[in-house]
Amino acid sequence: MSENIIDVNHVSIRFNLGNIKVDNLKEFTIRKIKHELSFQEFLALKDVDLHIRRGESWGLIGTNGSGKSTLLKTITGILKPYKGSVSVRGKIAPMIELGAGFDQELTARENIFLNGAVLGHSKKFMKEHFDDIVEFAELERFLDSPIKNYSSGMKARLGFAVATMVDPEILICDEVLSVGDANFKKRCNVRMQEMLSGGTTLLYVSHDIPSVIKLCDHVLWLDKGDVVMQGDPETVCKAYLERQEKVYSFASKKREDEAMINSGKKFDYLVVGTGLFGSVFASEARKAGKSVVAIDKRDHVGGNIYTGKKDGIDVHKYGAHIFHTSDKKVWEYVNQFAEFNQYINSPVARYKDELYNLPFNMNTFSRMWGLYAPEEVQRKIEEQKREYVGERLLGQQASAGTLPGEIGFVPQNLEEQAISLAGRDIYEKLIKGYTEKQWGRPCAELPAFIIRRLPLRFTYDNNYFNDRYQGIPIGGYTQIIEKMLSGVAVQTGMDYKEFLRRYPDKFKKVVFTGPVDEYFDYRLGHLQYRTVRFETEELDMPNFQGNAVVNYTDREVPWTRIIEHKWFEFGKDIEGHDIPKTIISREYSTEWKPGMEPYYPVNDDRNSELYREYAKLAEKEENVIFGGRLGTYKYYNMDQVILQAWEMAEKELKTRIVL
Amino acid sequence: MSSKWLYRIRTFRKYRDLLIELVKRDIKLKYRRSVLGYVWSVLNPLLIMVVMTIVFSSMFQKNIVNYPIYLLTGRVLFEFMKSATQDGLKSVIKNAPLLKKTYIPKYIFTLSKVTSCMVDTVLSLGAFFIVMIATRSAFHVTMFYLPVIILQTYIFSLGMAFFLAALEVFFRDIEYIYKAFVVAWTYITPIFYPLENLPHLLQVVVKVFNPMYCYIAAFRDITLAGNMPGPRIVIGGWMWAFGFLILGLYVFQKKKDAFILHV
Repeated sequence: MSENIIDVNHVSIRFNLGNIKVDNLKEFTIRKIKHELSFQEFLALKDVDLHIRRGESWGLIGTNGSGKSTLLKTITGILKPYKGSVSVRGKIAPMIELGAGFDQELTARENIFLNGAVLGHSKKFMKEHFDDIVEFAELERFLDSPIKNYSSGMKARLGFAVATMVDPEILICDEVLSVGDANFKKRCNVRMQEMLSGGTTLLYVSHDIPSVIKLCDHVLWLDKGDVVMQGDPETVCKAYLERQEKVYSFASKKREDEAMINSGKKFDYLVVGTGLFGSVFASEARKAGKSVVAIDKRDHVGGNIYTGKKDGIDVHKYGAHIFHTSDKKVWEYVNQFAEFNQYINSPVARYKDELYNLPFNMNTFSRMWGLYAPEEVQRKIEEQKREYVGERLLGQQASAGTLPGEIGFVPQNLEEQAISLAGRDIYEKLIKGYTEKQWGRPCAELPAFIIRRLPLRFTYDNNYFNDRYQGIPIGGYTQIIEKMLSGVAVQTGMDYKEFLRRYPDKFKKVVFTGPVDEYFDYRLGHLQYRTVRFETEELDMPNFQGNAVVNYTDREVPWTRIIEHKWFEFGKDIEGHDIPKTIISREYSTEWKPGMEPYYPVNDDRNSELYREYAKLAEKEENVIFGGRLGTYKYYNMDQVILQAWEMAEKELKTRIVL
Repeated sequence: MSSKWLYRIRTFRKYRDLLIELVKRDIKLKYRRSVLGYVWSVLNPLLIMVVMTIVFSSMFQKNIVNYPIYLLTGRVLFEFMKSATQDGLKSVIKNAPLLKKTYIPKYIFTLSKVTSCMVDTVLSLGAFFIVMIATRSAFHVTMFYLPVIILQTYIFSLGMAFFLAALEVFFRDIEYIYKAFVVAWTYITPIFYPLENLPHLLQVVVKVFNPMYCYIAAFRDITLAGNMPGPRIVIGGWMWAFGFLILGLYVFQKKKDAFILHV
């Protein structure tokens, strides 16, 4: 079979954090009756894929709680994967803790046999190696005293001696060599080198990066259960240390910000939500010499435009964001904060086995009908529209008892609207399934106003947007927000209500970019949203779909789109190297319920009416300004948000936006 | 299926020495900790027997010929079962540090605890033989059947221990609930009183629903009466033993992978 000695196949490890600890029957029963048992999952490892060949030595690095030990325990067999599988072909000597299973009351002699048995060695084997172990541990004189009288260094020595006396095929070391004197450490290192050259496979966890580089020929970097990077030690360790430094400077900024908030100072503005609106406003307010504190409920800044780096790829965590605008000033404004690339959004649509270009243009039509002249296509579409409208008119008039030609065709639902705008073929293949998935209802039951117009292009132009400027910031969006917020005291993971409770008199004015109905405690009812669920997956291949955005217009495929994040930046990392892996996000439309992530405001009569009522309340609210998508219950593109924030800033700060 | 069992047997053989080491550790530590060592484990039942004989023998004199032996036969087996299940119950959680750090088949801990209790029981049989001699009781040939009874009690206790140990991981108060249960069980078992003193209905209940009755009654048959136990007691004893072993192993096996998340 394969020559891999360890295969970790897409392993996830799940813990339950719900109810922190219900560990007795009494509480369990009470909570069960009151329906208070919750299951809150925590993934200690997320889809980790690792393949180790015989004789390799791997270092595992990452901050505390990143999942290093969890991974080792999974390989050892202590933890069973929740998803995925692990296969190990060889004898493991685990040194997760030296002398695990030592009994304090027993003597060293007895413990050697016990510990050997714990590691799965037979008594006969232990007898044969007994002298070697004692000699290596240098404990001849204390063999018959109980181990509770030993120092921790002595215990470590004994544990190491027992664990390494055999030549195991796989040696697992979890930060165990931090105890013991220098001399012993040196001998441990020598012993490990010996084993490595003897063909032992090593898995080594340590915070001591130089020792990782020295001992290992591969390094895996984990962060919060995710594999950030794997590869040769120099590269990965360098990237890791750089990140650490950044995290450290970030942490020190965080501390400064906290100190600022906790000082007696009163801020001019409290910005709630650090999305694009809040950040632009905060930045302008700083420029105008105001003091600003910004908070965000999430544990990062940036709102939905936040991008996180994984495997060198900027992952659009809350959905794809492609910057496009026709406003020169906006374009120049954003270019101050990051360098934008030449990305042009040209999505494609998959319908069963067919592939079409989007938006609807000559490429789409020629693939669909085999026609190449724009005139022929226009005629084809007109024909289909006329055919349909004719049919429908006859039907409508027959039921209304009127004569043909008396009244025009009035689409009664989305299906009728769409077909009358684009003809039956386009509707069936490219609109129907997609729209139904998006709204979770048949098109015939959806109101016509959702699609007001369908732009059809009779040129061979796949550029989705008509705007003059378009691109993606190289290195992701988060940097833009971070730069905008320089000089602003930021606190993430902080809810507005919580902030008010803790610092009731910290600010003069509030800029609220959260949901307006939430601000008023839903006293008039919930505003509704359409929401999207993302399933993000890391794939061990360089190219999954060959395009950043692929729409699935077929009703049978459950997701609406797949985003392949790397193609927003042409598959290159920040240094211009090709990225060997890829990350995709499947998007699913889900019915929105209170408490879910709100994405798109629903502009139907009920919700518009309800928002108007909230807007009245908002106007009366003194010293609070509402803004952004959620604050004003309106969908904005990024450039529109910036314009809105400018407008507000100019009005509020009595300044002019200058670049 | 067969490869699965083959794998299990191989694993068991690999960890057989660990089982022996663990049992040895338990026994050694038990005797090492006290000054009197082994003597204590003989002396303890003797002292209790003396006290209980003084208190109860006059109460039940008419029905029981040799009260000290009657009492001891009951106590030896019941105490064995009691300590095996109560120690076994804690066997998994007590070894949590080890479970978190190295891979060991988890049943080894329960198995070793129950086994050390059995070894301890066999060793403390010394007290029983001393009393046999002191009361000038006859040694019947039927007493060679004793190992079978101990084996039955062992298997039964093992099943109970597996079941309880698995539950204890998830609910720590099982320990206390079980302790209370054992107290009730002690009184519903004819250890220091003759079964005939109970009302008829209760006698039937004890005979049918109390597994310990089978083992104690068998022990008394072979020592006091010199008879082989009747088929109902023998077959009943085996059925209880294997019934509980299967139940215990089933529950343990089903839950064992989740242990690590709760210990």
